[in-house]
Amino acid sequence: MMKPFAYLKAKTPAEALAALNSKGARIHAGGTDLLGCLHDHLFTVDKVVSISGIKEWSGMTGRPDGGLKIGCLTTIASIAASAVLKEKYAVLAQAASEVASPQLREQGTIGGNLCQRPRCWYYRGDFPCARKGGETCFAVEGENQNHAIFSNGPCFFVHPSDTAVALSALQARLTVAGPAGTRTVPIESFFLAPEKAIDRENVLEPAEILTEIHLPAPAAGARSSYRKIRSRQSWDFALTSVALWLQVDKGMVSQARCWLGGVAPAPWRAAAAEKLLAGKKLNAALAASAGQAAAEGAVPMRDNAYKVEMVKGAVEESLLRLLA
Amino acid sequence: MSKEPENNCAGGPHGLSRRGFISSVSAGAAASTALREANAASFQVIEAVGTVLPIQLKINGITRKIQVEPRWSLLFVIREVLGLTGTKIGCERGECGACTVLIDGKPRYACMTLAVEAQGQEITTLEGLMDGENLGPVQQAFVEEDAFQCGFCTPGQIMAVEGLLRRNASPTMEEVRVGLSGNLCRCAAYQHIFSAATRAAERKKKGGMA
Amino acid sequence: MSHYYEEMEESFRNSFEPAPGPVAEAKIRPWEKTQLVGKGVPRVDGYERVSGAAQYTADIVLPDMLYAAILRCPHAHAMVKSIDTSAAEKMPGVLAVLSGKSPGADLPWYGGKAAQSKLFDTHCRHEGEEVAAVAALTPYQAADALRAIRVEYETLPFVLDPAAMQPSAPKLYEGGNAVGEPRIVKRGDVAQGFAEADVVLEETFYTSVQMHATMEAHGSVAKWDGDKLTLWDSTQGVYDGVLFGAARALNMPFNKIRVICKYMGGGFGAKLEVGKYSIIAALLARKTGRPVKAMLPREDTFLCTGNRPEARMTLKAGVKKDGTLTALQLTNLSTPGAYASGTSVGYQVAELYKCPNVLVSESGYYSNAGRARPFRAPGFPSGNWCLEQMMDMLAVKLGMDPVELRLKNFTEVSQTRQVPYTSTGLKECLLQGAKAFGWQEARAAKKSDGPVRRGFGMAAGMWSGGNGSPPYTAEVRLFVDGGITIKTGAMDIGTGTKTVACMVAAEELGVPLESVRIENADTAVTPYGQSSGGSMTLPGLIPAVRKGAWLVKQQLLAWGAEALGVPAEDVELKGNAIGSRSAPDKKKPLEELLRANGVMDVIGIGNRDPNPPKKAINPFGAHFAEVEVNTRTGEVRVVRLLGANESGRVINQKTFHNQVFGGMTQCLGFALTEKRVLDRQTGKMVNANLHDYKVPTALDVPVQHQVVAVDPQDTECNLVGCKGLGEPAHIPTASAIANAIYDAVGVRPTHGPMEPKTILELLAKKKRG
Repeated sequence: MMKPFAYLKAKTPAEALAALNSKGARIHAGGTDLLGCLHDHLFTVDKVVSISGIKEWSGMTGRPDGGLKIGCLTTIASIAASAVLKEKYAVLAQAASEVASPQLREQGTIGGNLCQRPRCWYYRGDFPCARKGGETCFAVEGENQNHAIFSNGPCFFVHPSDTAVALSALQARLTVAGPAGTRTVPIESFFLAPEKAIDRENVLEPAEILTEIHLPAPAAGARSSYRKIRSRQSWDFALTSVALWLQVDKGMVSQARCWLGGVAPAPWRAAAAEKLLAGKKLNAALAASAGQAAAEGAVPMRDNAYKVEMVKGAVEESLLRLLA
Repeated sequence: MSKEPENNCAGGPHGLSRRGFISSVSAGAAASTALREANAASFQVIEAVGTVLPIQLKINGITRKIQVEPRWSLLFVIREVLGLTGTKIGCERGECGACTVLIDGKPRYACMTLAVEAQGQEITTLEGLMDGENLGPVQQAFVEEDAFQCGFCTPGQIMAVEGLLRRNASPTMEEVRVGLSGNLCRCAAYQHIFSAATRAAERKKKGGMA
Repeated sequence: MSHYYEEMEESFRNSFEPAPGPVAEAKIRPWEKTQLVGKGVPRVDGYERVSGAAQYTADIVLPDMLYAAILRCPHAHAMVKSIDTSAAEKMPGVLAVLSGKSPGADLPWYGGKAAQSKLFDTHCRHEGEEVAAVAALTPYQAADALRAIRVEYETLPFVLDPAAMQPSAPKLYEGGNAVGEPRIVKRGDVAQGFAEADVVLEETFYTSVQMHATMEAHGSVAKWDGDKLTLWDSTQGVYDGVLFGAARALNMPFNKIRVICKYMGGGFGAKLEVGKYSIIAALLARKTGRPVKAMLPREDTFLCTGNRPEARMTLKAGVKKDGTLTALQLTNLSTPGAYASGTSVGYQVAELYKCPNVLVSESGYYSNAGRARPFRAPGFPSGNWCLEQMMDMLAVKLGMDPVELRLKNFTEVSQTRQVPYTSTGLKECLLQGAKAFGWQEARAAKKSDGPVRRGFGMAAGMWSGGNGSPPYTAEVRLFVDGGITIKTGAMDIGTGTKTVACMVAAEELGVPLESVRIENADTAVTPYGQSSGGSMTLPGLIPAVRKGAWLVKQQLLAWGAEALGVPAEDVELKGNAIGSRSAPDKKKPLEELLRANGVMDVIGIGNRDPNPPKKAINPFGAHFAEVEVNTRTGEVRVVRLLGANESGRVINQKTFHNQVFGGMTQCLGFALTEKRVLDRQTGKMVNANLHDYKVPTALDVPVQHQVVAVDPQDTECNLVGCKGLGEPAHIPTASAIANAIYDAVGVRPTHGPMEPKTILELLAKKKRG
C-alpha cells in the first residue's frame, strides 16, 4: 500500500517541468513502474506529477532527415503495432511486443520503459541494498542467477528495459528537458554504470524529463531483430536478449551492431562480436564465433554462468535467423 | 446506455455492496444492471478522512462524482467504494490481471491505475458487459466453453478478450494467446479460455448477444 | 490446525483401512442408462461466475466495514523484545491495534505435537510471522498505521537447509530441529530384491518448493451480532477448516459461528485450515464493534499461507531383464518449514507398480521458512518425479519401451494394503493414452541433430486419495412444482462439484437439469460437508446427493402408488405431477399429493455410506509430453500434452477435461518455472510476488492439449461410481516433461524446476564429459 502523496496533472510541458522542479516530486507517465516502486516503498514521493495528458509528448512523427521522432508518452503497445517501425526499425517493434503483458503495454510508455527502475529482487524486495542507500549488494553472495555477468560493481542488477537494448542498436538520440532547457544525449551515454552512480540508472537529473527519442534514417540494406530469452513466455524480463542491427551489402556484413540485454546494468555492447562480423560474409562458423566473441569479458557469479552460454547461443541463433 | 446519467456521490470508503447485505442462502443472483448502478450510486459517506480530491469517473456509461485520496487505485475505488466487485483484486501490483478493465476500450490493470488518472476516460467493467440480466457475448461464450474453474480470474480474462475483440474482430489462435498473456489463471483453464475467445469472436460477428 | 494433512499422513501409514460398517444401500443400484450423467454441460453457477454476481470473500463490502492489516516479522528468526503501538493508535482512521498483549489475543496456534506457537508469538521462527494488527477505515490507512508501529527485534541465527540437523545449528525448538522420528515403510526385503535384479540403478532427485499462488488471496471478513459471529472466509472447508478451527480458537459453540464461502478463488490445499487472519479479523471486529475485512496482501500469501515442501530424494531400483521390478528403495529428507506439516513423498513409490520389496525412509527437519501446507496431491508430484524418471532410466538401460515397462509392472492389487482396487484404469490409460498420442510413431521417428531438438516422454501416476468417505450430508428438497434444491456444506472450489451434484440429482429424479438448484457452504443453513481436499469431494458428496434424491423418489413413489392405485414401479415424476407409466391418464399434481400427506415439500437426507471393506479405491493416470529443447539457449517449449486419466465414472465431460488441462498445466509450472527462492544471507524470500514467482501464462501452455477419459465402469466404489480427479490430473506431468527432455537432448534433469539455466548447465556438463 502506497504512502500518501499529493497529485498534480500537468497540462503543458512547461507546467510539468515547473512542477517537477521541487523536492520529492516524481513523474507519472503510464504509471506502471512508478506505482510499483511506491507499492514497494523504494523511495518516497511527496508529489506525483502526471504528464500523461501532455499531447506534445505522445506519438511518432517523421524527421526531416528521414528519421523518426518518438514522443516519450507513446505507449509500448503502439510502438509494437506500428507498421513503420515493423518495416524500418524491426528491432524496436519486436522488443516492444515482448515487453511485460498486453495490459502493461497499453499503459506503459517508451519513456517510462527506458527510465524504469531495476527489477533486481533485492532492490525491489525488503533488503537495504546499496542502490537504496545500504552498504552492500546482496546479489554478490546471494541469489544471483538473474544478475549481471558484465558489471564492474558495486551493484549487479541487469537493466530491465527491452526497448533500451533495441534503441541502442538503432543508435537513438534522446532529448532531455529540464529547468535549464533541453539537451540531446546519445543513448549510449544515457545509461550510467553502477560505478558511476549507485542511486540512479541514467543521466537524468531529478527535475529532468526524457521527452523525445530520435531515430536516424534507416540505412540502405539494414535489417534488425530482437530476441528475448526468459523463464516464461509473457510478463517476464530478459535472462538474455539480443538486439541485432546489420547492414548487408551484396551478402557481406558492412556494419554490425550487437547489443545485449539482461546481462549488465545497462544495455551491453558486444563490441568484439561487431568487430568480428564487419566486412565478412556470414556463415554458420562466423555466427558461432560471433557468439563466442559476444560473451568475451563476462565475469559470472556463482549462479549465473549459464548466461555466458546463453549469450553465445542467442547471438549465434539471432545472426543465422536474421540472415536466413 | 446512450444517456449519461449523473449521480452525485460523495466519496469515502464504504457503502452497501451492490447486492446489499447478503441473505441467508442467496446464490447472489444479480440484480438488474439498472438497480446495480443505482445502488452503487446511492452510497452515503460513512467517513471521509485525509486529503481528498473531488473527481469524476465515467464507469459503464455513468458519471460518478466522488472524492478520493490521490493514492487510491482505480481498483480500490471501483470495488470498495463503488461496490462494483465484478472486477477482482489479485495482486495490486500489475502481476496477475484479475483487475483488468477497459479504459477507452483498451484492457488495463485497474490496480496500476490511480483513480485520479482515470478521469475523463471511459471505464468499462465486467458489469458493463451485461445487457440487463443477460450475459454479453464474451460472458456467454465463457459459460458455454466452461472457460473457468474457480472463476476468480475470469472477469479479468473476459475483459481481456473483450478488449482484444474490440481491436481485432477475428484474432488467430496466436493472437488470442498473446491477448490473454496478461491474465494468470492458476486453475489453468487456459485451453477452454482460448476456445471461449474464439467462440466469442464468432458470436460477436453474428452481432448477437446471448 | 493441520489436522487434514496429519490425518492424511496417518491414513497413508494405516493404508486407508476403512471403518467397518454396512456396505452401500443395497437397494440403490447403478444406473443402467443415463440421460444426463456423462454428458458435457455448462456449470450451474456459470452465470454467477461470469457476470460478477458470484460473491467471493474478497468481494464482501459491508456497511461500516473496517480494513485490517497485519504487521509481520521481517526477519527469518527473531525475538520480539518490545512493541510500541502508541503512534499507530493515533493515526488517522485507525480504530484498533492488536498485539499478543491485547485482551483475548493470547491464543495458542499450530497445535501439532512438536510445534507450539501463538497467534502473535514473540518467538518469530520465519519471515512473515504475525506480530501485530490494526483496523482502519481504509486499507491505505491500515498500512500507514502498520508502518508507525515500533517493534524492537532481537535477530537470531537462522537455518534453511539440512544443516539444521547438525547439533551446532540454530534451534527453532528447545528439543531440536528434527521433525519426529524417520518414517519407515517396509515391504519384503530390498537386499534380496536387489540381489535378484539384473539391473540396479540409483539416482538422486530434488524438487523445489512450489507456492500455491491462488488468485484470490487468503482472507476473512468478520462481523459480530451480539455473541454470534459471521465469518466470510476464503476457504476450502467452511466446517472442518474454518468453523471448527475458529470455534476452538475463540472458545465458542459451533452454532454461534456462521462460516460462509460460496465462491472461493483457488485453494489447492492452502486453504484447508483457519487462518490467523480469520481470528485477527474476529478479534478486531469485536474490539471495534464493526465488521472487519482482513484480506492478505499478495506478498504475505507467499510468506505465510503454505507451500509444497522441497524433497531431497534418493531412489534405488532393481529390475530383471524382462522389466520386472524386484526392489525399490527411497530416502527423502525434507523440511516443512518452521512448523509441522506433511513432507512425505513415498506412498506412490511403494504403491504404483507391483514390487515385492520396498523400503521407504523419510525424515524432516524444521527450518526458518514459511510452513508447508498440503498442495494438490501432497508429496505425489515429487514422488512421481523420482519414480517415473527412474522408470525411464530403467527402460533406457533395458532397451525397453517406457510404456511397455510400466505395463509389465501393472497391478490390480494395492501393493501397500494388499487388497484389490475396486477398479484400476492404469493399463487403459497407458494403452489408450499411447495410442491417442501416437507414442510409438513419435518415439520411432528420427531425431534431429540441429540446435532445436524434439523429444517425447511419458509418466504414469496414482493418487492415494480420490476415494471419498463419510461423513457427508446432502439435503435434497422437492418443491410442489417439481423444482429441486440441494443443500450441502461441501465446497465447490472450482472443480464443478455443484454442477455434478445437480446432474446426479436430476438423473436420479428424472428431471431436467434446469429444475435443480444448489446452495452450499454456509454452516448456518447447509448440512455438514468435509473440506474440499484429497480429490474427495466428488466421491464423498455425490453418492450422498444421489441417496438424498433417491429417498425423495422413494417417498413420491410410495405416496403416488397409494394415490393412483398402481404399483410403485409404475409411478413416475412428470414435471409438477406424478403419473402412471402404464396408464398415462392416471396422474396427480404434486401439490395435491403432498398436501394430502401433510407436507409442502419432500426432503431426502442423503448420508454418505461407508466404502466397501477390503478394497482400495484410487484414481490413476498416464501423461504424455512432446517438447522442443533449444540447445543454444536452454529454452524448453512444451509442444503437446496428453492426459489419460481414470477417475471412475465421468459425470461431466466439460469439467473433467477442464480439470485435466488445469492439473497438467499447474504441474508444468512445477516442472519448468516455479520455485521459492530464499536469500541464503538473510533467510528472506526474494520472489514473494507473482512476477518473480513464475506461474505459467497463456503463452506457456502447449498449443496442443488433449484429454483421454478412461471409464472403468466401477460399480463398487460408491453409489455413483466416481473417484476424484483434481489431484491425479496433476501428478505425472512434470515427470513426463522431464522424460521428454531426456529423449530430446540426452541429459536427465533430476533437479527441478527445469529452467533454461538447468538445461544449459546440464548440456555444458555433458559437453565437458
